[in-house]
Amino acid sequence: MDTPRNIPVTILTGFLGSGKTTLLNRILREEHGKRIAVVENEFGEVGIDQALVINADEEIFEMSNGCICCTVRGDLIRVLGNLMKRRDKFDYVLVETTGLADPGPVAQTFFMDDEIRAEYALDGIVTLVDAAHIEQQLGRSDESTEQIAFADVLVLNKTDLVHDDALDGLESRLRDMNRMARVIRSERAEVDVDTVLNLGAFDLDEVLGRRPTFLEPEYPFEWTGVYSLDVGRYELSLDDGPDPSMSLVVVPDQGTDDSALREGAEWCVRRYAEPADLVRPGDQLRVGEHLNLQLDSPGRKSFFLEVETPMRVGVFTQHTAEEFDLQLLNVDGATPTANGAPRTTDAVPVEVERTWVAQHEHDDEVGSIAIECEGDVDPDRLNLWLGELLRERGVDIFRMKGFISLAGESRRFVFQGVHMLFDGQPDRPWGDAPRRNQLVFIGRNLDEATMRQGFEACLV
Amino acid sequence: MLRRGWAAEVGDYAIAGGWTPRGEALVVGDAAGGVYAFDGTSGATIWTQREVHDGGVLAVAMHPHRPEFATAGQDGRVLVWSATDGQVRVDIDIGNGWVEHVAWSPDGTWLAASCSRKVYMHGADGEKVWRSDDHPSTVSAIAWSGSEELATACYGRVTFFDASTGERRQQLEWMGSLVSLVLSPDGDIVACGSQDNSVHFWRRSTEQDSMMSGYPAKPSALAFDDTGTLLATGGGEDVTVWSFQGSGPEGTRPGVLDLHVQPVTTLAFASGVMRLASGARDGTVAVWSLEKDAKGRPIGAAVVAGAVSDLYWRPDGRALAALDAQGGATAWRVSKW
Repeated sequence: MDTPRNIPVTILTGFLGSGKTTLLNRILREEHGKRIAVVENEFGEVGIDQALVINADEEIFEMSNGCICCTVRGDLIRVLGNLMKRRDKFDYVLVETTGLADPGPVAQTFFMDDEIRAEYALDGIVTLVDAAHIEQQLGRSDESTEQIAFADVLVLNKTDLVHDDALDGLESRLRDMNRMARVIRSERAEVDVDTVLNLGAFDLDEVLGRRPTFLEPEYPFEWTGVYSLDVGRYELSLDDGPDPSMSLVVVPDQGTDDSALREGAEWCVRRYAEPADLVRPGDQLRVGEHLNLQLDSPGRKSFFLEVETPMRVGVFTQHTAEEFDLQLLNVDGATPTANGAPRTTDAVPVEVERTWVAQHEHDDEVGSIAIECEGDVDPDRLNLWLGELLRERGVDIFRMKGFISLAGESRRFVFQGVHMLFDGQPDRPWGDAPRRNQLVFIGRNLDEATMRQGFEACLV
Repeated sequence: MLRRGWAAEVGDYAIAGGWTPRGEALVVGDAAGGVYAFDGTSGATIWTQREVHDGGVLAVAMHPHRPEFATAGQDGRVLVWSATDGQVRVDIDIGNGWVEHVAWSPDGTWLAASCSRKVYMHGADGEKVWRSDDHPSTVSAIAWSGSEELATACYGRVTFFDASTGERRQQLEWMGSLVSLVLSPDGDIVACGSQDNSVHFWRRSTEQDSMMSGYPAKPSALAFDDTGTLLATGGGEDVTVWSFQGSGPEGTRPGVLDLHVQPVTTLAFASGVMRLASGARDGTVAVWSLEKDAKGRPIGAAVVAGAVSDLYWRPDGRALAALDAQGGATAWRVSKW
């Protein structure tokens, strides 16, 4: 599937009116030096002479075993099978699906049919989303949900018709459903062609290179600031922000390197699991406890922190510091007086700060699960686990990608899959790189804890 | 066994072709839409017509008795040619779609063609006789079960049509994507390769059906021998041969012919003898001598420049031609035994 001579194929999906044909014409115009074949399943207005446009009815073929995971698109097998015979082969193939198409059979065709597999490489699935109508569509049809779940790129189109706030909300909803996809906003499908073609989206290295954070776990906090504090009294000052309250945990003895930050984050997740104590402006902050700052009064609000021995603290906050203009001030050893006597205050510089992938409310059935851990995996146990998972949940797993450190194998094992179809092979040697595992699944009603446990049980 | 006769070239991927009834010429259609005729003995070009079918030739059918043939293409047309001078005798415009299959009835009375979900019947002079309703999917194969009946395959179904009226005579169903179709010479056994890597077959007289599964790839190449005893199937690197002798092939082990290193693309039996030619994606061509119990041994082999797209025995069985993906047309002389 990845020999260099294979012809790349991009699949364009999206509901009627989402702008597929506009994007298609844009691509053909900008890539006019290339020989592009377009396979269309509904009559669009493709007006470019250089492109060969082939109309074919969408024909979904099930296999005799009746498994929905084994559906392929018969029209693509026929059309692509014929196109590959020409000597002046095409540089690129674009498949524009109907608005109601399920991307599953389209993607599966590139795994299931050995002749197609030998000549073509599925480069990526691009889903156009009509920003003004997708919310209704998501409520009404499985197809629109699946088109989003399958996408490598989500083009959030017609953004001019929707408020910025609503767009942010929509984008975060789409990201929750599919964390593997890149989201691009556009007005009239005016996107940079490079962002939709030649993605190598079924090539995991490319994906990780472009979006190294897509496998990161989600946390209940968005920001961490590490401060080096001497003995003394400190004031945490916040201005008006988007929410009337914000929770935080102050972690003692916080280190500054990446692994220390992750350790702190993991420790913090457990604190966040405990109920938060409400803290009012003027109150003391207690180190190592889950606190909820009351911020509903107007103007700047202050909370205080006493430091008895010099240490570094990590302040893990629910929102970013920027949103509330959060500052930590040194109150110069003196306690503030009730009459507001003068005092010197100095902002304490942040030694290290970082943001985290925030956890959102998951109200859609479709979501992404990422598993990341160190260690080697026992191939037999992995086979058993994955076999059972795909057999039982393959219908609900739309896409998966990842790499695995197999015990006794000097190379990374990379894999990807669509529903029950799984394709994996050893890729480059680990060399000096730390051996670890990264897996991401996009699917419907997936149980993260069970899948994580299942995978961890495969570790040697 | 195979002695090099001649080699010729066409402009692009050699899609399909065939020998004229007396073997005077080999006709070839290519992916660039050109049609070529080569002298059957020397391989010299008799005539060439380039860019006839816009988009490429998809199918070629040789007339059973006359030095004529039909071509079908992506341009939605069927052309009937004289093989002697390369002139188009009949030009049939079927419509806005690929005409993927074309076949003469064994007596040369009818010319059937399929385009998208319909099959179209014409008289020998190209006059339209009837066209079918839509099939459930694009027609994937057509075959004659005699001179008065045409069979079509599509997703989930084989249908038999009366040649003169277009009336449906029989319908055999199987939930699967049927990619190939072949009938035993008496028309009773219907075999189809399926996308799910199996071969399904029916006996029309008893409506009994069976499935042969376990192929590593889809069996797109199928061939029956003249007597209807042996069914050779592709579907992977091996040629798998089923014998219909006795109560077989149910419950029997097939003959496995192992020589090609890439999947088999085409199979052809010589007439009158149990001699099978097989071609593969790796460019290898093999000729096998088979027994009635489906066992066989290779008796000749050759290699061509590209994936073998089709193989044609000269009607007298004394020559074999191969077409390949590099545009090659190669002919070998075949010794009698």
